[in-house]
Amino acid sequence: MHSGDRVRVERDGQVNEGVLLPSSTPEHLVVKLESGYNVGVEREGADVEVLESDVYAIDGNASEGESEGSAVAFDEDLPTIALISTGGTIASTVDYRTGAVTAQFDAEDVLRAVPDLAGRANYRGRVVANILSENMDPSIWRELAEAVREEIENGADGVVVMHGTDTMQYSASVLSFMLDTPVPVVFTGSQRSADRPSSDNVMNAVCAVEAAKADVAEVMVCMHATQSDDRCALHRGTRVRKGHTSRRDAFETVDGTPIGHVDYDTETVTFDGTADLAARGDADLSLDPALEPDVELVTFTPGMDPAFLEMLEGRAGVVVEGTGLGHVNSELVDVIDDLTDAGTTVVMTSQCLGGRVCDRVYDTGRDLLDAGVVEGEDLLPGTAKTKLMWALANTDSPAEAMRTPLAGELSERSVPESAR
Amino acid sequence: MTDGDFDYEDLGLVAGLEIHQQLDTATKLFCACPTTRREPEEHDRTFTRYLHPTKSELGEIDEAALEESQVEREFEYLAFDTTCLVEEDDEPPHRLDEEALDVALEVAALMDMTPLDQAHVMRKVVIDGSNTSGFQRSSLVAQGGEIETSEGPVGIEDMMLEEESAARVEETDAGATFALDRLGIPLVEIGTEPDIRSPEQAREAAERIGMLLRSTGQVKRGLGTIRQDVNVSIAEGARVEMKGVQSLDDIDDLVRFEVQRQVRLLDVAEELAERDASVGEVQDVTDVFAETESSVVRGALDADGLVFAVPLHGFDGLVGRELQPDRRLGTELSDHAKRHGAGGIFHTDELPAYGVTEDEVAALRDAVGAGEDDAVAMVAAEADVARGATEAAADRARTAIEGVPEETRGANEDGTTEYLRPLPGAARMYPETDVPPVEPDPSEVEVPELLTEKVERYVAEFDLNEDVAEQVAYGRRWRLFEDAVERGVDPNLAARTVESTVTSLRRDGVPVGNLADEHFHGVFDLVAEDEITQEGVPELLTALAEEPDRTAAEAAEEAGLGSADEDVVREAVVEVVERNEEQIEAEGMGAFSGLMGEAMGALRGKAEGDLVSEVLREEIQKRS
Repeated sequence: MHSGDRVRVERDGQVNEGVLLPSSTPEHLVVKLESGYNVGVEREGADVEVLESDVYAIDGNASEGESEGSAVAFDEDLPTIALISTGGTIASTVDYRTGAVTAQFDAEDVLRAVPDLAGRANYRGRVVANILSENMDPSIWRELAEAVREEIENGADGVVVMHGTDTMQYSASVLSFMLDTPVPVVFTGSQRSADRPSSDNVMNAVCAVEAAKADVAEVMVCMHATQSDDRCALHRGTRVRKGHTSRRDAFETVDGTPIGHVDYDTETVTFDGTADLAARGDADLSLDPALEPDVELVTFTPGMDPAFLEMLEGRAGVVVEGTGLGHVNSELVDVIDDLTDAGTTVVMTSQCLGGRVCDRVYDTGRDLLDAGVVEGEDLLPGTAKTKLMWALANTDSPAEAMRTPLAGELSERSVPESAR
Repeated sequence: MTDGDFDYEDLGLVAGLEIHQQLDTATKLFCACPTTRREPEEHDRTFTRYLHPTKSELGEIDEAALEESQVEREFEYLAFDTTCLVEEDDEPPHRLDEEALDVALEVAALMDMTPLDQAHVMRKVVIDGSNTSGFQRSSLVAQGGEIETSEGPVGIEDMMLEEESAARVEETDAGATFALDRLGIPLVEIGTEPDIRSPEQAREAAERIGMLLRSTGQVKRGLGTIRQDVNVSIAEGARVEMKGVQSLDDIDDLVRFEVQRQVRLLDVAEELAERDASVGEVQDVTDVFAETESSVVRGALDADGLVFAVPLHGFDGLVGRELQPDRRLGTELSDHAKRHGAGGIFHTDELPAYGVTEDEVAALRDAVGAGEDDAVAMVAAEADVARGATEAAADRARTAIEGVPEETRGANEDGTTEYLRPLPGAARMYPETDVPPVEPDPSEVEVPELLTEKVERYVAEFDLNEDVAEQVAYGRRWRLFEDAVERGVDPNLAARTVESTVTSLRRDGVPVGNLADEHFHGVFDLVAEDEITQEGVPELLTALAEEPDRTAAEAAEEAGLGSADEDVVREAVVEVVERNEEQIEAEGMGAFSGLMGEAMGALRGKAEGDLVSEVLREEIQKRS
């Protein structure tokens, strides 16, 4: 008896017939009834009779047409968009053993899953990884960046990266630093799993493809702008942050406004005229993929054990998410002094997220500057981490690089929202 | 053949019920929102969504789901200060509500059902917009029970615990608008075995299940809170699922009319077979109506529409055959045409009519090649709609040659039904992975007293008459009644207060919805302590309903409802008697009942009727 068999289970006089499914608990058999309902029956005391073996291939491949997706005809009048998949909710399915949603589809499956993409572009599908985005790491960032470069080299007019939403902002920001791109690179994903009719994956994918065809050359995140299926916002890859655990419109441009929008009904892409955006074809394609992985991001909170900072001695870089204008408990200043003395680049950012770090206002700040801390300006803490990883590996003076705008990640003027 | 004289056993009638009942729990099934209904205009935010059909876990898309999704529809949702992100499908569901599971297990116990060892929450695909997620969460929680009816036991196959859908507010050009207040209210769905063999038994079984549900004291009451679906087939017919029966009283009619429909459809099929009937090709017949004065056809043509028609060979006279009261085979064709956006069809069995002339009918028959024995069905509408609707009507005519189609039908108020959609398939179900399976524990369940048992107890213990006992037990305030009796209030007064008094106050426009349990408790305390008379109860309840912030004692004080003593009563009675001296001289004690009403009115419920009657009797005697 195994999953996929048609079985008859009798326990306590109650008979259930159906297809045996994998169970997430060892004590129960899970049977899918003819009605479609799953029921759990205790194994102990259950009489099981196999009526027919292997009625269904539960693990997937049997019913999937393997090559359907690539049978799409090439249309010379349409631009070519590379779809790069890294896994995530936008291309996810159910895992019977854990009962959780996992990513199992490649980019061609996404085409099959989102038929609305047809007719907008010629697509080239590519799988870089098949991971939940919390498992993303710098080595995959490098592979992803290489893949994007190759696709552009091979003639892609735009790149859409399908990515889990949890760490999308880190991948988007690190690619912003690594890559000089002549075409748009658009990250998208979905907050509500692709296996539900209400998933945001269809609209996000459609809008991302439209953005990838647009006349800009930025690394962007394209996700729902509101709770409605009306438009997507385009966020700069270095200023974006996931600000809600579950809402469709979880992503926001911190301390600013999105650089553009894609209207789902009209399929038009508009950009904020005031944003300083690179135009399509402006830049020559180049990639500096080196990263210094030895960088940590530490959040200071009241009562922090100094040992957490002491243990970072010898690291290449540390980003501190301080309080307010960029502070930590004054007791910790000496520890930071020791870190910088030992050669660690320490960058101060603020857990306020909005606003600029300024360590010249209060004594603690001034002491931190004396201790060798680099002010992270208005960098988002996460972006500061990816930037520091990149700067340590690619620049002569990481400290100076951290204070210099490279990819729209920091501004020299803080302009209130109403004046933008 | 007239209604009701079928031999159901002979016809092989098989019927089953599906009863959907909302539960009256504190919170919704998968979030902590209250289960309060709201008015659409109370919404404080809106959003719009599209739904896209998905594959089920076994790789099939349901036929019914597909038919619903032919057109991309935009849904608007109204959200309230009593709804949260879970209803908006912008937050994963919380764990299955324990209170709802407890109620479901109580119901299971009342029907001798066995709870599942492990209940799995499933997603049942529904893409008509009534669920923001595109599916309804539903869990099979118990199986294998039985209820009694006078015609023998009816098996209970299963019970689901599921979430109620969002209420449809209106259809819009782009799709539809739904209100989220109802979405997520716990619902039990009870399915019987196909054990029912007569219309009366169907009704009795539904009544029995309804009584068992109400016995828990934790089900919602009022319009729309319970819905019955009835499945009916006869031996030569087909399984038809009838949805949305609002009233128990309709169930026997519904079964009767459906049997009649199937019997007559079989007759029609037999005659069609004898005539070697067939359905021809759908054709554009717009030219026939170029000069028409039929307002329906003219209107469509003036809006750049077309007329399509299909010849139904061998159907002459049968399209107009009545299947149910005032519903013909032509009505069935029309139902299908309506599903494709048309207003309906015209057919030659009813023409000339509606402004279509005899000459036009002849030309129409000519145009599609229909002879004397044939019928023609036509649709005038916008080009796509006219063609699609005519095709749909033609398809339904083809099935008429075969016999009775399996389908889902919607119940009308008069017990007839109309076509809704194909029967749902079994494939529209996949696991709700956001909610872990639960293991129901039936040992904790307390089996409630049945309402039938309650009636018997009220009669035996409190000496209520059977009608009153039933009124109280089946009503919404039996708990208040028991509280009142416990406080020492006379059971008959208590029963009258919670039922007939409240009902008549409601009829008089008193906002009795404002009356909370503590108001009733306060009133009963005052009655029990003789602080007010039973005659004062309606006035006190009225005062409390109008200003519910006051306590019963405060309201009684303000309304001057304290029990009047004999002096006050006598003073009022003397006044009445003196005013009516002539009448008393003429009628003597015959004037009593008229004057009694007047005296009670003068005392405005402040005095006991017995005391007033005694004093009045004395005063009349003095003068006659």
